[in-house]
Amino acid sequence: MTDDRSPLLRVTDLHKHFPVKQGLLIERTVDEVKAVDGVSFEIQEGETLGLVGESGSGKSTTGYCILQLIKPTSGSVCFAGEELTGLDREQMRKMRRELQIVFQDPYASLDPRMTVGDIVGEPLVVHGLGSRRSRRESVRQLLDVVGFNPSFTNRYPHEFSGGQRQRIGIARALALNPKLIVCDEPVSALDVSIQAQILNLLKDLQRDFGLTYLFIAHDLAVVRAMSDRIAVMNRGKLVELGPAEEVYTQPQDDYTKALLSAVPVPDPRRMKERKAERRRLQHALADTVAT
Amino acid sequence: MALLEVNDLHTHFFTREGVVRAVDGVSFSVERGKTLGIVGESGCGKSVTALSIMGLIPQPPARIVEGSVMFEGRDLVRLPERELEDVRGNEISMIFQDPMTCLNPTLRIGTQITETVRRHQGLSRQDARRRAVELLEQVRIPNAAGRLDDYPHRYSGGMRQRVMIAMALSCTPKLLIADEPTTALDVTVQAQVLDLLEELRREYQMAMIIITHDMGVVAEAADEIVVMYAGQIVEQADVLELFDHPEHPYTEALLGALPQLEGEGIREGRLTAIPGRPPDLIQLPPACRFAPRCRYANRHDACAQGVPELRELRPGHFVRSGHPASERAGARAEVTA
Amino acid sequence: MVVDPRQEQLRVEAIVDEERTFDAGTAAGAPVRQTNLWKDAWFRYIRNRGAVIAGAILLLVILYCIIWPFVSPYDPNAVTFADKNQGPGLSHPLGTDAFGRDLLTRTALGGRVSIGIGFVATLVILLIGIAYGSLAGFIGGKVDNGLMRFLDALYGLPYLPFAIITLAILGNASFWTMVIALSVASWFTTARIVRGQIITLKENDYVRAAKAVGARWYRILGRHLLPNTLGVLVIAIFLELPGVILGEAFLSFIGLGISPPDSSWGQMAEEGRRVYRIVPHVIAIPSIAIATLVLSANFVADGLRDALDPRTRET
Repeated sequence: MTDDRSPLLRVTDLHKHFPVKQGLLIERTVDEVKAVDGVSFEIQEGETLGLVGESGSGKSTTGYCILQLIKPTSGSVCFAGEELTGLDREQMRKMRRELQIVFQDPYASLDPRMTVGDIVGEPLVVHGLGSRRSRRESVRQLLDVVGFNPSFTNRYPHEFSGGQRQRIGIARALALNPKLIVCDEPVSALDVSIQAQILNLLKDLQRDFGLTYLFIAHDLAVVRAMSDRIAVMNRGKLVELGPAEEVYTQPQDDYTKALLSAVPVPDPRRMKERKAERRRLQHALADTVAT
Repeated sequence: MALLEVNDLHTHFFTREGVVRAVDGVSFSVERGKTLGIVGESGCGKSVTALSIMGLIPQPPARIVEGSVMFEGRDLVRLPERELEDVRGNEISMIFQDPMTCLNPTLRIGTQITETVRRHQGLSRQDARRRAVELLEQVRIPNAAGRLDDYPHRYSGGMRQRVMIAMALSCTPKLLIADEPTTALDVTVQAQVLDLLEELRREYQMAMIIITHDMGVVAEAADEIVVMYAGQIVEQADVLELFDHPEHPYTEALLGALPQLEGEGIREGRLTAIPGRPPDLIQLPPACRFAPRCRYANRHDACAQGVPELRELRPGHFVRSGHPASERAGARAEVTA
Repeated sequence: MVVDPRQEQLRVEAIVDEERTFDAGTAAGAPVRQTNLWKDAWFRYIRNRGAVIAGAILLLVILYCIIWPFVSPYDPNAVTFADKNQGPGLSHPLGTDAFGRDLLTRTALGGRVSIGIGFVATLVILLIGIAYGSLAGFIGGKVDNGLMRFLDALYGLPYLPFAIITLAILGNASFWTMVIALSVASWFTTARIVRGQIITLKENDYVRAAKAVGARWYRILGRHLLPNTLGVLVIAIFLELPGVILGEAFLSFIGLGISPPDSSWGQMAEEGRRVYRIVPHVIAIPSIAIATLVLSANFVADGLRDALDPRTRET
């Protein structure tokens, strides 16, 4: 389909502007919020690109734009040689088998009125894959793969803990055998000990199925654990993009430096040094986090 | 004498499903001018401990069934509500995770601060306003006088938490309890707020209890650390001691489960996950509560026989485990690696 | 090919790795709690004593209306002038009316009509409300704006006069014309509730997830959005019911409702009005019946709201 060098996903000059409307009867656009403001990057097959940024940086919006869950204002999203922004609804629907998403909040991302089995099987039903019986078998296998006991398929999601629910969400994302999974803060709602389980699971799945991830998170340490390359976003723009090692050890952009120095490290002995570093970068911070 | 002494505190929730032993025999003390960090995952009882100290637990369903909270010689558990109200906000203050829900969205920031100040200190309207500006300046809100008449929604998350801190400090309390004060904030803002808290703590010479799930935050902010698991303290030590020589398998595992910011082979390696999940606080087995997830415990040893005592392994270092690191000579290297 | 065969090999690994367990009742992955939304709601509901009593009364009244006419020794339409205008007594527990008809039996019969019209009209209100509200909420944007402004305009219509005009247009009053008259101008609130709920639900990640998976719009609406509005719809039933029953009673009372010899509570009250100086119980009984039903439906609605509203849900 594609040759080895062309990336699986290429995002070029992506923009998403939300209009700010005013007026009582007749609304008119008075301003625009540039949630994503000219973002470009590529992801190779099998790699993980970590997208870090603070709240409001536009990282989740970028993810949604790639999946066409919201329509980008302009720019191009090219997946496996196919331009997604130009597809009509039915074409995009077929395309969705290749791109999936795992959400942040394991409580809001599972329909409370559906059983675990129905949730994981929904992608198969929607695309008319397999018979009722083979679907049931697929669901059991999928749950098995993500480490969720398949004998609980008839239970409802709220009966389970956050970590278990996140496994259900991952199983749903895997159901269609996608190439790319956008992980939108998949562990930020979980406790540390559970977070490690889910991160390991994601790593294993990537190894075993050759998945490609766009890993969106605000936690720099988590992103580090997952990513080959890192993109740092601030106020809708990419401020830094490079191999993980480089970005973390030799950050070029002031915002990246500030972000890195702000992370509290579980090492009291290094605290003083880091605090001093933080102070030095105060000007960069003052600029970006003025309010 | 310590400023605050919590002795054998038991706070239970009496629910339809059964008795939830949210806090089950917790004891610690906070010295004047020191910071105690309480770390643990959700449901370990850290927040309920704080609320119990403040007398703010929802009654019913919760009740302090045993124990005492001695604050400067008074037992807060047995103090009448009226006297407790004078302690609360005046001598002990608390800030919470979500600053938005703690501020009344329909009142101006200035009104909310002056209200607190006037209630406890009996200042005149003018003086209270002046004090409010002073407080906002102290928590580094730019153009404080001008922003006094803004409503909370005009403040960002970080600024709202600053306002909460300002209100908590308005009566120069002796003890500040911060319950996940930075969890809702971005990292850069979190760093600023933590620095601010530390500075103000020095300036006001207060003691502080900082409650968090984040090992990084306690490493930065606390002098002494208490690790909680399933309603109990499992380890307690000085901050350097705890991070240098974690003893309890849970503390070790927690540190191992944490993704590292610096180091080699992070991308390729796996994290040391802790299998399973914390026990159901209603049906607690008469055994070590961490045993089912502990890599050293097995069903035949003492871990299954009864809850281990919190014992002092080294001066000031307490552990509740049958398998502390220093007693497992061979196993140690493997864990810390 | 739905599931990759490679997944098989991972299976054992994943479980052994992540879900290592041993004894002590914390089998990882087992459900944390075994209740469901409705069970929770039920427990909260039965803790509300007023709502439970109201629910029981409502149920008793309905059962009485359904069953009593079959059991009763009296023919509800048999005119016996010898027994006319009797007060409550042994042979006629609720007395008789001006034609000597047994009021206990006639009240049950009238209740059938009143409650029947009430429930059917409420159902119609719900159906129109759901259709209109979910359309507006789901499509959103300009369509939503237009539909809601139109609804605002409709809100200006006074409910009862509108029902009267409808009845006049439809001609003679029967069960079905009453249902139409009562529901035609009272579905606005339900439409609003449904729209609001749909708009809130639309923002949920599970709706986004369904979209991401490639679900078509009717699946998202029918499978994810509407089932989740069930809670508010149950509340809506008991909120609309009293209004409709009162409306029916009013129309019958002013003579526009069901005509004799069929009866409803409103019509019985109207008959009682003519003789209330001599035998006050003839008007009192249907009035009390209406008040009881309306009050208990209101109480039930309140109880349901407390039980089903997620904001009051305990953790």
